[in-house]
Amino acid sequence: MSYYFTIIGTKDNPLFEHEFGTSKPGGDGTAKFREEAAHMNQFIVHAALDMVEEVQWGTKDLYLKKVDTFQNNHIHTFITGGNVKFMLLMNPDPSATPYSNLASPPPSSRSSTARQSMLLANNPSSSQTEDAVRGFVTEVYEAWVKCIMNPFYDVNQEVTSPIFRARVAAAAKRFL
Amino acid sequence: MTPTPDDPLQSPQDSDSETTLDVAKGRHSKPGRSPLSSITSLPYRRSNASLSQLFQSTTSLPTAAGPSSESGTVTPTAAPPNGLVFSPGSTGSARPASPAVPGANLSGETKDLILRAFAPHVSVLASQDTEELIRHKGISGGLLELLRPFGEHVQGKVTIRDSSGASRSWDDFAVRFMGVKDGLESPRMADRRSMESNTDSAQYGAKRLSALEFKPARLRSGGDVPQIEELVERHLTFAEEQSGPVEADYLTYNMESLDRDPGSDSPFYMLYLRRLLSGIPLVPSETISHPVATVIAISSRSPNPIEELRTLYASSNTGEHRVPPWVLNEFLRYYVLIHDEDYDDISKSMALYDQMKRHFGLHCHLLRLRSTQCVPSDDDSVKLPHTEWMSAAEELTEIVRRETSEDDEDPTPCVFESDANAIRSFVREMVTQSLIPSMERASAQWNDQVASRRRGISGRFMSLSKRFTTFGGRSSSGPSLGGAGSNYDSVQGYYKPDAPEAIMRRLADHAMMLRDFKLAQGTYEILCQDFKNDKAWRYYAGANEMAAVSTLLAAGGLSSKARTETVDQYLEAAYYSYVTRANAPYNALRTLVLGSELLKLRGGSALDDSARWLSKIIDDRLVGPTGYALLLERSAICYSERQGVAGLSAGERKRKAAFWHTLAAEAWSKQDKSSQAENCLRAAARLYKSGGANLEFGNMQNFLASLQATVKANRAGPQHLDIGDDEQTLVEPMQEQDHQFGPHSPIGHRKSISTNAAYFPQVNTSFDPLGAVPNAYGGPPADALNPQAAAGGLPSPGLERRQTRDDGFE
Repeated sequence: MSYYFTIIGTKDNPLFEHEFGTSKPGGDGTAKFREEAAHMNQFIVHAALDMVEEVQWGTKDLYLKKVDTFQNNHIHTFITGGNVKFMLLMNPDPSATPYSNLASPPPSSRSSTARQSMLLANNPSSSQTEDAVRGFVTEVYEAWVKCIMNPFYDVNQEVTSPIFRARVAAAAKRFL
Repeated sequence: MTPTPDDPLQSPQDSDSETTLDVAKGRHSKPGRSPLSSITSLPYRRSNASLSQLFQSTTSLPTAAGPSSESGTVTPTAAPPNGLVFSPGSTGSARPASPAVPGANLSGETKDLILRAFAPHVSVLASQDTEELIRHKGISGGLLELLRPFGEHVQGKVTIRDSSGASRSWDDFAVRFMGVKDGLESPRMADRRSMESNTDSAQYGAKRLSALEFKPARLRSGGDVPQIEELVERHLTFAEEQSGPVEADYLTYNMESLDRDPGSDSPFYMLYLRRLLSGIPLVPSETISHPVATVIAISSRSPNPIEELRTLYASSNTGEHRVPPWVLNEFLRYYVLIHDEDYDDISKSMALYDQMKRHFGLHCHLLRLRSTQCVPSDDDSVKLPHTEWMSAAEELTEIVRRETSEDDEDPTPCVFESDANAIRSFVREMVTQSLIPSMERASAQWNDQVASRRRGISGRFMSLSKRFTTFGGRSSSGPSLGGAGSNYDSVQGYYKPDAPEAIMRRLADHAMMLRDFKLAQGTYEILCQDFKNDKAWRYYAGANEMAAVSTLLAAGGLSSKARTETVDQYLEAAYYSYVTRANAPYNALRTLVLGSELLKLRGGSALDDSARWLSKIIDDRLVGPTGYALLLERSAICYSERQGVAGLSAGERKRKAAFWHTLAAEAWSKQDKSSQAENCLRAAARLYKSGGANLEFGNMQNFLASLQATVKANRAGPQHLDIGDDEQTLVEPMQEQDHQFGPHSPIGHRKSISTNAAYFPQVNTSFDPLGAVPNAYGGPPADALNPQAAAGGLPSPGLERRQTRDDGFE
């Protein structure tokens, strides 16, 4: 169970990236992404922006829920009033993701154990998952607003603040 | 006959299936390892004109010859002078006029292809002396081979009346001629040996001849995905090799011609699709490939023609050419008397023909052919047209035969113009006067007797009563081993051809062939339910597949809600049953490809569905490496066709299209198909830039750049095979460097951007004493993503080629 969280500015530019794993029982809080996920996650999230641009007009909520899926990666999105997108990619089992590797065996859909099926990312559109993600992004949003209130921050500028990163990590630990 | 119909499928294929994945490393150092390594010993293999012609003709067939060759994807200028089979004039009248319009209505092309895939099948049964006569003409495959290409385009318009009585004319009607036993055996080698020994001893006795005829029949059946993969991969490899020499011009010429329109269909994908739909195997659960007629041919040479006809009829009815028990035997018999113009007396043949007419009525034809062999230098000789709808195994055999043949001449047999015209008018007469009317009559009859009873409220009730009572009014149709009241023979796994379900299936398939999609749709719908009740899963899957196809072909406007409710459900059910219950991956693949292609034609939100089904194929690994890359590219095209809402960019799928193009580029480059990879990469770069904003994700940029560098480095590609030793020594050190840097690169052993920058200048200087290279050629548009590689890496491959050409390679 691994997460890749990124904040994307109005020009499709990443402002903040953070990878983490679940802190629920059985997880140690670190991401288990494979090597190629470094670029694949970015590709997947970038491609999901197409869906965000469509979904955002169909709901009045800022939290758009699950917008896209690629293999076993599911992407939830929260969009702020300033058209900044919080994209959360969740992957229940990165080692089973084939990415662009043809040789790897097809993902067996029912290999997950009973314990794993309790995990949030296995049911990406369940209300339980949505609630957890909603809690996470709301907390991140709070931190985000405080962060960009900094007078030295410009629009679409990358966020480097360690405090913000710590807040995101704390929110992740709490909700996901 | 084909000299070695067996070897083709094992020798070359083995060698490249394992080597396709290691890309940059092995190629230059091992000249013997070409994908076609079995024949590298032949010095002029690649310039074999007949071979290149074969590749050229098949790949450029689906599209008009014009756009595909302009687009630079298929063997653009390296074709031999007599390259195109379908050059205007040779067979002009046989082709519909459509190729004249370049690139017009590209989407209609897939629809045409799918429509023509459901052509009625006509089996051909000829007497011994007829086959001899045709072989004497120089056509080794006998009457079948002579007729096949002409069945693919019935001359003129064909008018068909549908179930409601309305007539509609079709330009592109076709029939598929097939052997009597075609489609029954798997085209694989392994099966053949056991089957042949069985049949040799049991059925055919010691007759060597029937064993010989056995093989082409096996090759003519399709439905084998690995063979399709292999075939398309051959075409790709050939195109890759051919694209080499052109590139010298290609750097200096305008890049526009090479930029394939992002929405256009890849000719290789079309080939894949066509081969997927060619040679549909003969199975109980679908009657598309069951014969609707048999041509029984005798020749004027026969001493006892009427007797001959009787024997042939009997053998097709009860003898060795009998259809399997699950095929309805009561189809049209069409009798043909082939008159030998050169040696036999026409008045005698006329008398015989009159006698035949008296016996058989309308369904006979006097076909006047010349029996002397036609050579290309003859005045009125035309090439026998190329068969478009041949199965993958057949085409592979043909390719290998041409590769191994020493002589440079085109082995396509010639026929006299007069013969070609005679056959064309024969086919037209048979189709319009006998085949279509009899199919219409049969459909009407089945529709009245069986299907119409099942529609409406009483029909529903009947199916209920059938299920819940033991006397459903249908207990008369023989012993049933399935559930109570079911006609399904679950032990043997088929319905008898006279069971109502089998008749309805045949009715629906006939409606598909006659292009009456409304009737087909309604019938398939009923069938889905019936088959489900009987637990006839293969039938169920087939009915669902065709229900989806006919729904998509029939309905004009289909709301997205209706689409998800009906089509998606059909596809899902068909796919699930094929994969899990019937274990038929070929059919599953065919279902989803057909579904996604037809959805793609609808545009709008259906494009998302189309791409979704494609990604299902990809995720479930129903295809091999070639199909994988082709389908990735196809998904990208689906996404890029999506239009924005009200002129805004919202609703477009540019990023997704670019992503899938990138994936396709990576897949191509892993398979050593750099020109395909380049096309995809260029499309991706264009899409990523089109948003106005630059790509800001660091890792994405790096990945694209390194992919680009790899593709560029490999662009020189397979033509290194022919180039001298100096090239190899030069490339070798690069490979070693590769190994050192390998682990860092994002794609395995590929060069990462850093290594690229590290060694390319050095290569350049060795080639470029003036140091003028980086400025001499501007990079292609795709380079904007990758400044370093553009400056350093790009020019070298083109330059290498220049130099070797000056070396007197030509």
